[in-house]
Amino acid sequence: MSVIAVATGRGAWARLGAGIRHHKMASFGAGIVILMVLSALLAPWLAPHDPLEQDVLLRLASPSADFPLGNDSFGRDILARILWGGRVSLYVSTLSVLIAIFVGGALGILAGYIGGLFDRVLMAAMDVLLSFPTLVMGLLVVAMMGPTVGNLILAITLTAVAPFARIARAPTLTVKERDFVEAGRALGFSHLRIMVVHILPNVLDDILVMGALWLATAIRTEASLSFIGLGVRPPTASWGGMIREGFENILDAPWLAIFPSIAILVVMFGLNMLGDGLRDTSDPRLRHE
Amino acid sequence: MTTPLLDVRNLSKTFVARRGFMGGESAVVHAVSDVSFSVAAGEAFGLVGESGCGKSTTGRAILRLVEPDSGAVLLKGEDVLAANPRRLRALRRRMQIVFQDPYSSLNPRRTIGQTLTEPMAVHGLGSARKILEAVRMVLAEVGMPIDAANKYPHEFSGGQRQRIGIARALVLRPELIVADEPVSALDVSIQAQILVLLRGLQQRHNLSFVLISHDLGVVRHFCSTVSVMYLGRIVERGPVPAIFDEPLHPYTRALRNASPVPDPKAKVIMGKLEGEVASALSPPSGCHFHPRCPHVMEICRGVYPSWVQVAPDRGVACHLYPAGIGSTVSAAAAPGR
Amino acid sequence: MSEAGELPLAVDGLTTAFRVEGRWYDAIRDVSFSVARNETLALVGESGCGKSITALSIMGLVPKANGRITAGRVLLDGRDLVPLDETEMEKIRGNAISMIFQEPMTSLNPVLPIGFQVAEALRYHTALTGEAARARALALLEHVKVPSAARRFDDYPHQFSGGMRQRVMIAIALACSPQIILADEPTTALDVTIQAQVLALLAELKSETGMAMIFITHNLGVVASIADRVAVMYAGDLIEIAPVEELFEHPMHPYTEALLSSIPRVDRDAGDLKPIAGQVPPITAMPSGCRYADRCPLRVPRCATMPPLVGLAVDPNHQVRCWVRAADESVSA
Repeated sequence: MSVIAVATGRGAWARLGAGIRHHKMASFGAGIVILMVLSALLAPWLAPHDPLEQDVLLRLASPSADFPLGNDSFGRDILARILWGGRVSLYVSTLSVLIAIFVGGALGILAGYIGGLFDRVLMAAMDVLLSFPTLVMGLLVVAMMGPTVGNLILAITLTAVAPFARIARAPTLTVKERDFVEAGRALGFSHLRIMVVHILPNVLDDILVMGALWLATAIRTEASLSFIGLGVRPPTASWGGMIREGFENILDAPWLAIFPSIAILVVMFGLNMLGDGLRDTSDPRLRHE
Repeated sequence: MTTPLLDVRNLSKTFVARRGFMGGESAVVHAVSDVSFSVAAGEAFGLVGESGCGKSTTGRAILRLVEPDSGAVLLKGEDVLAANPRRLRALRRRMQIVFQDPYSSLNPRRTIGQTLTEPMAVHGLGSARKILEAVRMVLAEVGMPIDAANKYPHEFSGGQRQRIGIARALVLRPELIVADEPVSALDVSIQAQILVLLRGLQQRHNLSFVLISHDLGVVRHFCSTVSVMYLGRIVERGPVPAIFDEPLHPYTRALRNASPVPDPKAKVIMGKLEGEVASALSPPSGCHFHPRCPHVMEICRGVYPSWVQVAPDRGVACHLYPAGIGSTVSAAAAPGR
Repeated sequence: MSEAGELPLAVDGLTTAFRVEGRWYDAIRDVSFSVARNETLALVGESGCGKSITALSIMGLVPKANGRITAGRVLLDGRDLVPLDETEMEKIRGNAISMIFQEPMTSLNPVLPIGFQVAEALRYHTALTGEAARARALALLEHVKVPSAARRFDDYPHQFSGGMRQRVMIAIALACSPQIILADEPTTALDVTIQAQVLALLAELKSETGMAMIFITHNLGVVASIADRVAVMYAGDLIEIAPVEELFEHPMHPYTEALLSSIPRVDRDAGDLKPIAGQVPPITAMPSGCRYADRCPLRVPRCATMPPLVGLAVDPNHQVRCWVRAADESVSA
């Protein structure tokens, strides 16, 4: 694994970090994302109440001093449920995007590097995957295999692998034509070493930018599936599930659906700003170096 | 006779070019056909020709960076083309390559130090301290400061990058370096710096070179023997001054005459050679050069001329020299063997 | 020769600055030269010497966002081009002055037939239309010796070799019978045998039409075979200008001298190459005096100020920008 440590060590991360700091939009987006992640991580300490604690007297209560975002149809605290629900949403989406980056990135680099029939077959398979709308793929997997968190992650990963394979393959095609790859072969480097040490760092920027944008999509997909009841099972809180529950009472108690919607909106907004900003800063034509 | 360091025999390489819808049409390109030459230890051998003549493919085939279709490449008698992956790795330590484009030849994401230590680490050549010492030495040898090791390629000029590319080729202490247009991308004054550097390395380490170039001046300055290639085949070979001062093959002569000389009194014979280099996809029948040749004869259109050894160190493939010049013996003896 | 009107193009004290990270630096400074009718002036130097920026300045093509001409004049038949606006320059470009570039593939539109592109230049700049333009375009292609031009008139650029594409570019440049051709490394991308053909064509066209040619190149061998006069540039300064034979026989500037002895020559046995040590300083760290000083073996304290371009006493047509060499010559003369 030392090979991988060398490749991912500094370089791409350091550059992206510097890029974010110099880019107003990216740093604003990053700020929002960090805030939301922190609040989800610290939910056990931040949440004023237990997210599962029911109170019949507080059914559909409107926001009050004690329950600033109101209560749901079981009288549970909406603020606490949003904080705890964020954990689920972020956990599911982050994990599935990370797996997709790893699998898709590896497939893309392999396809680009090996080329020929392997490339054509693999990319055709990716095109098939890509032709499924995210939600349809989610429905398919969850309906066939059951609505567990694991299957939810699998469903989102499956739809995200193809775009990451594509985004990794394109720069691999150009990088592998450069002389330093041939020099590596002449120096007796293995193909694995060339792909991991020499090609990966040159395509990582593109992959990470894509990662930020896909994280937003993954959060939306998780919410959509939970909304139609194929996501996380109740009573566990998740943003999509909360919106669904709130939907039944949208006219009487709109805050049930509105506050989790705002949470999703803010995270997606932050991630998109971060992703767009990263894309700007990783574009060498826009870099002032 | 001692075995030469590098012996290339009847090397051939064809590529399949796909065209048309879904690559439906395909055509065979004979990039390298029946190329033979040998390079002695410490010798600088030149391969010269215009774009598409197969000189770069030949260089890469020697290192098996492209797999040749047939022929043999012997490094001190050991067959490079027959080597299994483990042997090949060992052989690659002994022959290296220097590229034309100093911007594409270095990984932009790796420091010079990483680029230079990696080969030694991969081949397990000594401790970290020993490797560091070797990097220090090789940097000094190519005229770069030690602190270059901590910098990235974009911090250097083209000439400096080319020095670093040469350092990378040297770090495994090879016996042979294939230099593919090593100075073509550089400014004139930097070209001279690099050529002087390469000459010094050749003399200090008794290094052999296969220098690939389109620039006859560079070849004349650096090489002692040269082969001229046209559409995948060697058309003439011999010692450098003789080939350029008294070329035998009409193509060598045309190339020599078209090469600009920095002397207004020696105006080049401009535009004498009519026509264009034919496509390697459909080389002309017979001698590939016949459509452009001022001395074309009937036989040239139908038959590719056989190789004639006109002197012990000089040969040509041209119907103008059917029995060689004053060396009928070797020409007549050749088919008998 | 002294009549300004006889010179199709005279550049006088041209200085062009570029902005790098918010600060302006002179990319070329005080460049002066002229070209006569039926004369080829070679502008020679290494990359970054300012030869291409000189060409862009003449054509009014300096990118406005980060470049500007800060001083000097470009006189076309006595008329200064520097103050002209874009509309007026468009009438001059491709008409009185034409350009030929290094890479014909990027200068030709890949989706239009070459004959159409030549005719287009005619339609844009002359009164010719329809069949007349087509006929004239064909004549031009035949003139630049595109083989079987009539049959290939409707072929696309990718169907031509590099040498043929460059001929098409030359045909387009000639379309409006320009007084001046500005050729920027026109043969650098070509093989030597093809280069020789294109050089021969350009020389022939020049003497046929009597136009002036500014030929930009880094290759001193090409200079020797095509130029009548040579201007050598280094780091944005024009440092020496002389008739071609004079320059190669008696190079005066230490840089010209060093450049000439650093070329590996095909007509001579390997002598010792004498490389020039060091490299061109970056534009952000140029010395204010002679820009070659820190690589120059003849450096004296006076080199800290910029030397003027002066004609030699023995031959006023041979001008050099060097305190040491200019002084030597006037003493010996």
